[in-house]
Amino acid sequence: MASAGQGGPPPTMEYGGDEVGALVLDPGTETTRAGFAGEDLPKRVIASQYGYIPPTEEGGEGQYFLDDINILRRRGGMEVKWPMQDGIVEDWDGAARVWKEALVPQLCESLAENPLIVTEPAWNPVKNREKTTELMFEQFDVPAFYLARSAVCAAFANGKSTCLVVDVGHSNVSVTPVYDGLILKKGTQKTPLGGAFINQQCRAIFAQRNPPIDLTPYNLIDKRARVDIDEPAHPEMRKFPDQDIPHTASWLKWCQDRLVHDFKETIVQTYQQPSGSFSEQHLATQPPRLYEFPTGFNTNFGSERYKIAETMFQPTLATINPDDPLPFDPATVHSIGQIVKDSLQGIDVDVRQAVLANIVVVGGGSLLFGFTDRLQNELQSLYPTVRVKIYASMHAAERKYAGFLGGSILASLGTFHQLWISRREYDEHGAGIVEKRCK
Amino acid sequence: MSRSGVGLDKECVPAFEDLKLGRDKSTKFIIFKLSDDKKSIIVEKKGTEPDYDSFTAALPENDCRYAVYDFEYDLVSGEGKRQKLCFFTWSPDDAPVRSKMVYASSKDALRRALNGIHADVQGSDFSEVAYETVLEKVSKGQGSK
Repeated sequence: MASAGQGGPPPTMEYGGDEVGALVLDPGTETTRAGFAGEDLPKRVIASQYGYIPPTEEGGEGQYFLDDINILRRRGGMEVKWPMQDGIVEDWDGAARVWKEALVPQLCESLAENPLIVTEPAWNPVKNREKTTELMFEQFDVPAFYLARSAVCAAFANGKSTCLVVDVGHSNVSVTPVYDGLILKKGTQKTPLGGAFINQQCRAIFAQRNPPIDLTPYNLIDKRARVDIDEPAHPEMRKFPDQDIPHTASWLKWCQDRLVHDFKETIVQTYQQPSGSFSEQHLATQPPRLYEFPTGFNTNFGSERYKIAETMFQPTLATINPDDPLPFDPATVHSIGQIVKDSLQGIDVDVRQAVLANIVVVGGGSLLFGFTDRLQNELQSLYPTVRVKIYASMHAAERKYAGFLGGSILASLGTFHQLWISRREYDEHGAGIVEKRCK
Repeated sequence: MSRSGVGLDKECVPAFEDLKLGRDKSTKFIIFKLSDDKKSIIVEKKGTEPDYDSFTAALPENDCRYAVYDFEYDLVSGEGKRQKLCFFTWSPDDAPVRSKMVYASSKDALRRALNGIHADVQGSDFSEVAYETVLEKVSKGQGSK
């Protein structure tokens, strides 16, 4: 790896020992993870969103609310904003607030004392990488900084320097080939069939029921009575002091998403056979599962719970809700199998076999029941003559926080100090140095 | 330099060159490991046993290693013997995450220093470094035992 460009190698004395006390920040569209280098799990996992109450007409300042617990509380007129879209920062002011909240003051008093490693997706544009670097040095005042590709971190954490990283995230599913520790940009593919899409599919299924299932979240309900299966529920709503100012649609959706998330984890399951053999008639014979909503309403879910997950592999099966249209056309969007194919098309023939035998699956979405087995079947049927092998950690946390874990170990290595971008180098070369150093 | 900043001990390349050029007739394989202070890659063992099984037996069950094996096989067509050098990255599933990580991110330092390697094998369990699997890869289907 090219050292420091024209400036010579960074001063090794500055972060000499093994104990650098570095911080790790792994920002995602849905949650932001932060912790200390050398630890297996992030100390803090907070929502990447923030609540915002705009200034009143008399003037004053807008109010910001960070961290799940503060967003969750009902506040009249509070909007929930998403500073990151598709893993990329769109709203820098908001993102900076969320990142700072994740780090200060729970992890450190001030960011000026600890080097910081931040992860980023493979498709992060050059402009954003420079902007992140600038933000870290100018606004956060960090003494040293490194920007690591989360796919590379995930690959290393699984002990692979050559592999295909399949990351099932919130806003998308991405496939990134990693070769000798470097990402192959040409083979990087993504499709919007991630957790957010599954949430939307769950909602579409709820809306299809007659009457539609009420998704009032827990925090708006005061009391509920036990009701029999499929009987209407009549919960008592909670009264709030600011009841006269209505809550916003974005806040309600955010709260409902947490509820849908729980439904997804407990009820949704992937069908095991490859695409093409999916049959709702057959699945209708499988035992259904009961789910109780916060209102007290409870009902059975049969073949629907397979259908929701099946859309990741066959998007044409997607349930369409006219009131909540999909952000893409299900007829043309690429399925997970298809993007793996697209990705392999973009890379050298010799590398294809090597990466197919080393597929690393990470991301919270991959924890859908039976997901990795299904992916194995799907890919093996696409490539019948090649050995396909999937590596997915058995620990849920290692999969959810693979990017954090990789970054955490990398930054804690005694030898890593040579790779940090130090403040002095930033002052000398400007934000452009990130392109040279963090490949 | 590798992604992790780990360097190479000065013994590594000469040991490999001796194996490659046949200066050291008795050596059949070399196993490399990370030094105890995790700052450089060192030669752990030079293997002299000619059979392949003693090579796989030298790989630890729950820690990572790199290795170079001088692979010898007969061509199916009967056109004689072939010798190929094969590079192994051994990273078993049971190895600690930290160890897997350091080995994966430091592989570059060693691999790029060794010229004349014919094939790269990434192994995470013993079936992936079994004689038949490696033979298939090294000989591209042209070899027989």
